[in-house]
Amino acid sequence: MIPALGEVALWIALPISIWGCALAFLGGRWSRGDLVLSAERSTYAVTALLAIAGVGIVAAFLGDQFQYWYVYNYSSINLHPFFKFSGLWAGQRGSLLFWGINLALFSSLAVWMNRSKNRDLMPYANGVLLAFLAFFISISLFVTPPFEQLGFTPTDGRGLNPQLQNYWMTIHPPTMYLGFTSFNVPFAFAMSALIVGRLDTRWIQATRKWILTSWFFLTLAVIFGMRWAYEELGWGGYWFWDPVENASLLPWLVATAFLHSVMIQESRGMLKVWNMGLVVLTFLMTIFATFLTRSGLIESVHSFAQNLTIAWIFLGCMAVTGGVASVLIIWRLPLLSSERQFESMLSRESAFLLNNLMLLGVAFAVTWGTMFPLLTEGLTGSKVAVGPPFFNQVNIPIGLLLLALMGIGPVIAWRQASPRNLMRNFLLPGAVLLGSLILLFSAGVRHVYALLTFSLGAFVLTIIVIEFWKGTRARARIEEENPFTAFVHLIRRNRRRWGGYIVHVGIVIMFMGFAGAAYDREVRQSMIPGETISIESPFGHEYSLTYQGLSTTLVPSMRQVIALFTVEKDGVDIGSITTQRQLVLAVNPPQPISEVGIRSTFVEDLYVILATVDDAVLLGSNEPQFQRATFQVLVNPLVPWIWYGGLIVALGALIGLWPGAGVPTRSRQAGSTARAARGGGLAGVGMDSEAYTSDSSTSAPATVG
Amino acid sequence: MSAIIPGVLLALAAVVLVLHPVVTGREASMEWDEEELTEAQHRRNIALLALRDVEYDFHAGKLNEADYRAMKQEISTEALDAIDDDEAEWNARQARGDSAESLGLPQDLEAEIAALRASIREGIVCPQCGHPNPRGCRFCGDCGSALPERKGAAEHVAGGS
Repeated sequence: MIPALGEVALWIALPISIWGCALAFLGGRWSRGDLVLSAERSTYAVTALLAIAGVGIVAAFLGDQFQYWYVYNYSSINLHPFFKFSGLWAGQRGSLLFWGINLALFSSLAVWMNRSKNRDLMPYANGVLLAFLAFFISISLFVTPPFEQLGFTPTDGRGLNPQLQNYWMTIHPPTMYLGFTSFNVPFAFAMSALIVGRLDTRWIQATRKWILTSWFFLTLAVIFGMRWAYEELGWGGYWFWDPVENASLLPWLVATAFLHSVMIQESRGMLKVWNMGLVVLTFLMTIFATFLTRSGLIESVHSFAQNLTIAWIFLGCMAVTGGVASVLIIWRLPLLSSERQFESMLSRESAFLLNNLMLLGVAFAVTWGTMFPLLTEGLTGSKVAVGPPFFNQVNIPIGLLLLALMGIGPVIAWRQASPRNLMRNFLLPGAVLLGSLILLFSAGVRHVYALLTFSLGAFVLTIIVIEFWKGTRARARIEEENPFTAFVHLIRRNRRRWGGYIVHVGIVIMFMGFAGAAYDREVRQSMIPGETISIESPFGHEYSLTYQGLSTTLVPSMRQVIALFTVEKDGVDIGSITTQRQLVLAVNPPQPISEVGIRSTFVEDLYVILATVDDAVLLGSNEPQFQRATFQVLVNPLVPWIWYGGLIVALGALIGLWPGAGVPTRSRQAGSTARAARGGGLAGVGMDSEAYTSDSSTSAPATVG
Repeated sequence: MSAIIPGVLLALAAVVLVLHPVVTGREASMEWDEEELTEAQHRRNIALLALRDVEYDFHAGKLNEADYRAMKQEISTEALDAIDDDEAEWNARQARGDSAESLGLPQDLEAEIAALRASIREGIVCPQCGHPNPRGCRFCGDCGSALPERKGAAEHVAGGS
């Protein structure tokens, strides 16, 4: 009954969303508060209805209701309840509804948070959000119906793709959707600001937090996806420039560019059209990512979906959205003119602009490389694969430039930097850069990119440490605080700037982790029990792995083949490692997957793949003659730093997002007191700046990225 | 089948919720909220923050004194322009008599504005809250925290923001 109710709720949600969308626009046009209120209640109603629909699907999964096509294809009786729950987003039909649910939640949150502010923007912003809700509800009803029934009730389902039966995979997609859908809100505000013609600083203030929220989720999602690929795909790496990986990176790149360039608009009143364009582009990229993932047009590790109808619908959505946004921007160009000109090439503005061009350059290269196979197929009929070499060749040099800019940006002054000051500020970091170059080179690091990454990383970290040091010292001196208190207050006073620096630290550490790939080691060997395989770490020590044997067992839903190794490091026993090959029986036909063995230390991973075993073993034989197997053993230096760096990035973004660093609002009481005192003058200044202080740094070079 | 009755109830509830404002005429606010910052106030705040950043950059050694003075001058002018605009808006609203807060308006507004200008030009912007205080103040008029005891505009610092 619950699933049936869920389906009914989905049907009710469609007319309500269309009604709300129409009333929102009309209410805004005619300044009719009753229509606007009705539209806002529609948003809440649609959210509740979509939540009921979501509960309906989850109930169908948990209740093994295989009469539903979607449940039959993505679940089975013996699937773990955890994965049954995540069935909501395991397949196309559920995930498009899940998308709608997330969008509805964010829309309601936006409406609720703005119930007594930005009232002139809200009708249209809500209208845009409801339009997209209606779009996704329509898809769920007419194109990919999650509640479609088979007409009979199979005794068991076909099971979930075993590669998706991984905890990273249960949190990676929702995080991605949170990032994608939350970006709808800034886009809606941007459109609304264009429609109303209120293109001053306020719409940016209203949406910056949302953009940072979205960026936070996108960052996490990309990292979760890397982690999943690393653990589950079993080829030894975390990033393959796969189309769907790229799709998730694109909105991140453009949003990162926006987070930087918006600071120029805030403090210098420049780049208004550019920033508006970046908001629109980021939003289009989120739809593009959905298009790539959900159309299945391009071969990918995510080829979980192939649906041309969906491809055309999303392309159409992108075309309409992009077209409408462009027309609005052109219409409002007179209001988007720059208040100032660039004064000098040697200024923080220029550094930011360069950063933007680099990030968009990467985004362009990634889009081009991703779409190239599709374009050539359309033009010539034959598919050309664009592999990692292309992406690395283009993106690594740009990445290194970005890394350097991360150090230069914070130190260089707004407007015009004087060479003398630059000299003074870059003296120590420059010395560190040079010192690390010499040190690493003499230690035998010859790989140019790795050498540059580590040295530039040290350069950036030095600059950030100096920034923290100078800030803390200045504050401690002026406030007569002890250094610790001064440090905490420093961060609290301008969370965006210092949170941004922390994000930079995380990014630098991640970059170093990526650079470690230059020193990956790999051996592949066919072995019988008792044999030893040795591999030398780039850090000088040697691992010796002695193969102890295979055992095969039947666990619920799969046959598990486990190989055991004892591990010695430079002759000293450091324990054991297991690696698995699994034959998943819960899907039809049974599917083999590998479950790699990873032994992590602070600086490297020992990574063991069970590449091939005798078929007899997979069929359940534990006979000694079938114990020969082929293994791949890898040492992946610095990979753990990617995950540590990711944690630091998340921490920095959270500092920037923390409430209180929020969208500037005045506390009512204090605000009225200020007004009463003199009506928006003297006391008002103090009050307002207080609301701003924690958050809107006008010089912080460093929000994120 | 069993979902028909709950489904109908659900639909009814949604329709009542959504239609209620249209039928009863209950309205969402379309008004500019008095608590919200106006554009002029936004510009003023941004200028004040920029001022603090310049202070920070100067004390962190990123700006030399000549640049610092030039930039400070320029941003102060922006801040004053924004304050003037804000005052103009405020006075216009007062003239229309549409503010309930007019009761609390001090008599000598001109003097206060002058004091404000002076405080921005050469006074002490509170390192805690950014409130500009007239010269000679020892404690912030807004948040009450102690102000740096230095004379002249160039020497107080905005505490790292």
